[in-house]
Amino acid sequence: MKIDNQKQCLSISEIPELTAANSANFRDQVQSALKDSPSVIEINLSQTRFMDSSGLGALFALYRATAQRKGVILRLLNPAPEIQQLLELTQMQLLFEIVRR
Amino acid sequence: MTTLLICPSIRPAVPHLAALGSLATAPVFGDCLLGHWIEHMAARGAREIRVITADSSERVREAVGDGERWGVRVSIIASNTEPTRAEAVERFRLAGDSGWLPAPDDVVLMSHLPGCPGLPLFESYSSWFAALIGWMPRARTPSRVRVNEIRPGIWAGSRSRVSPTAALIAPCWIGDQVSVEAGAVIGPGAVIEDRSVIRAKATVTQSWVGPDTIVGSLTSVANSLAWGSTLTDWRTDSSLRVPDRFLLGSLAKPQSAPATDRFGRALAAKEPSRSPPNVIAALRSGMSGASDIKLPS
Repeated sequence: MKIDNQKQCLSISEIPELTAANSANFRDQVQSALKDSPSVIEINLSQTRFMDSSGLGALFALYRATAQRKGVILRLLNPAPEIQQLLELTQMQLLFEIVRR
Repeated sequence: MTTLLICPSIRPAVPHLAALGSLATAPVFGDCLLGHWIEHMAARGAREIRVITADSSERVREAVGDGERWGVRVSIIASNTEPTRAEAVERFRLAGDSGWLPAPDDVVLMSHLPGCPGLPLFESYSSWFAALIGWMPRARTPSRVRVNEIRPGIWAGSRSRVSPTAALIAPCWIGDQVSVEAGAVIGPGAVIEDRSVIRAKATVTQSWVGPDTIVGSLTSVANSLAWGSTLTDWRTDSSLRVPDRFLLGSLAKPQSAPATDRFGRALAAKEPSRSPPNVIAALRSGMSGASDIKLPS
């Protein structure tokens, strides 16, 4: 997983999977990166091929954290079709701004 | 009167529909495709039905037996490849052989549902879904005595349980022994096959839910084919094996070898409870306390 923090924009990418095996680590790393108080958080899911409810839970935890703070934008970038399906099945696509670029 | 039914063999565009070993045994409105064709041909006067299959003839035999339930005699002919209609006539219908149904009912490739040749089943997942929705008004065949049209455009099995707070929007089909729990929304354009469970506040719209499938609480199945844990978007052909059974999963017994040894039986006895939590509860689990993500103050 790659975390890039520049100009108030926190970019998280290169996440091959987000599951019970690594979701706690994902949360910890994101939590550490949030110390710089970014105004935009972008999670690039273009390389994510597998996600389970633990991974969804990690995204939901980030959503809850940002929803409580005005002015912080959270985006999911380029989810692969199967991840998009999972977001739609769980209706989590209604919570997130999903951007394709 | 005799007829030949040709089972469609592998179709690369729809691999998940052959999950039961053959497209001819794919579940359609409470029966398999072959079952619907046998019923149709029996109604046309056929008494002997020869079924040509290039897939597992045992699976096909298992699905329809000897035809007794339709009052016909069914024989299965194994073939190395799927014959065309012309090849089937040449190979399996002897010259001068009388007593056949008149064309085109004498030899049929089951690539569509009876009476709907304009709606091909296996060209794509979207064609499968369109064919099912198009055939829905005909699906309540004489043998489907347990499914009734309870309101215009809404069919439901008499042994199904539909919560009074569930919303049913035409057109929709709820098969036999289906459970639709409180607050669920079924339709428009939904087919729920037999023995499936739609849990509370789930939504199924413009979708087909295969038999013995559980759709989890608060989930949304839209523009998709959901069968067991496999979710296929019929617009994009994208497929997903859902890893968490409380979101989408199979209620069918696994087809793997039974656990007959002592170790296997012990493992089976330790299988966890089958009551799935709802999705939000599951997603929130582990999010309290230290595992929460917090923005700096």
